[in-house]
Amino acid sequence: MSNEEQKFSDEFINAFVDDQLTPEEKAQVYARLSGNEALNRQICELRKTRDLVQLAYKEPPMPTRGMATLSAGRKIGLGVAAGLMLIIGGITGWFLHQPSPNQATSVAQQAPGEDVPAKVLFHVSDGHADHLKNVLDDVEELMKHYRLSHQKARVEVITNGEGLSLLLAGISPYAERIQKMQKEYHDLTFVACQNTIDRYQQELGFTAKLLPGVVVIDSGVAQIMRRQHQGWAYIQG
Amino acid sequence: MDVFSFLGRTREDKARLEQHRLRLYRIAYAWTHNAALADDLVQETLAKALRKSSQLRDPNAGDAWLYSILANCHRDHFRRSRTTEEIDENTITHESTPEKESSDQQVVLKVREAIARLSEGQRQVVTLVDIQGLSYLEVAQILNVPIGTVMSRLCRARHALKDLLGDFAPKTAADESKIRRIK
Repeated sequence: MSNEEQKFSDEFINAFVDDQLTPEEKAQVYARLSGNEALNRQICELRKTRDLVQLAYKEPPMPTRGMATLSAGRKIGLGVAAGLMLIIGGITGWFLHQPSPNQATSVAQQAPGEDVPAKVLFHVSDGHADHLKNVLDDVEELMKHYRLSHQKARVEVITNGEGLSLLLAGISPYAERIQKMQKEYHDLTFVACQNTIDRYQQELGFTAKLLPGVVVIDSGVAQIMRRQHQGWAYIQG
Repeated sequence: MDVFSFLGRTREDKARLEQHRLRLYRIAYAWTHNAALADDLVQETLAKALRKSSQLRDPNAGDAWLYSILANCHRDHFRRSRTTEEIDENTITHESTPEKESSDQQVVLKVREAIARLSEGQRQVVTLVDIQGLSYLEVAQILNVPIGTVMSRLCRARHALKDLLGDFAPKTAADESKIRRIK
């Protein structure tokens, strides 16, 4: 019995307990288990140790700040987010009330000099046709303004969530208009979020087909953060 | 984090992130036994993960990827402040176990104390395997060590734990038997 037992190294028995062995290897252990009390006890003790470790960290103590006050923090965060939303909404609304060139000018002022291109991103996460039309109107106004004022500019329309429908072939109500805009303005890019595309596939079994010329990035949110780090102006489309 | 959800993350994404946060926190706490530090490490890990999310091509590798970021943050932290940071703090060096504490709680503290006594490499391996249920291969990738090292560290860690914990459960039994003999 002890000879047989020695054939299994401790590492091997651990791997058995952790279910890391191939079915054949597991079968070898099972075959030896019957009548081998020492092996049984070893496995039992390893399992017990593992269970104890699991138990010890099932409910780790939460820090007094941060995690423990997470719900409160989240509420504050939501409040801040809501506040930001109001501010952005207010500013956007104010711009929209102005004659279009003013809106464009105010965004254009993001660019500190003539040589430095203005960098603006529109974030589209709402898929309603009216909403999408407003976004495209805004983008077009802005592009026209930059052209008229001979200012260099890069504009990205980043879509995720329901906003992706703007760029889906066969679904977008403005497919032709987008293609026209792409031809007209070379510094204008339409961007689709791969995460959203994946989610459509997983949850709805729907394979997204994008309009020609649309750029796909890993994640809309990540792209927005990258752009903001690079100093792009953010407009909630 | 709320900024990200505000920028268009769905509720499911957010729930997933919170789950990640708790799982990461559990491991970070098991490594450091310091709630505030563990929280900081998790925060840093998630922030790095969001910054580097473009590097993640295989979404299924997400979990292991997050833990490898955590392992890096943990290593960097102790590299930065090796002289000033003490692993043992508050809960581990508790002076007494009051009667009102349930026996479960005593076991929990005892196990945490035992884990804290392991070498760092052993502690990382045993917590990732036992608490997180990761495969040896995943742990090897996370910690950037050969799989054989994972196996030997795990083996030694469990051996040490058995020794550390083994003398607490049977000890009371032995004490009891002594008392009985006196009677």
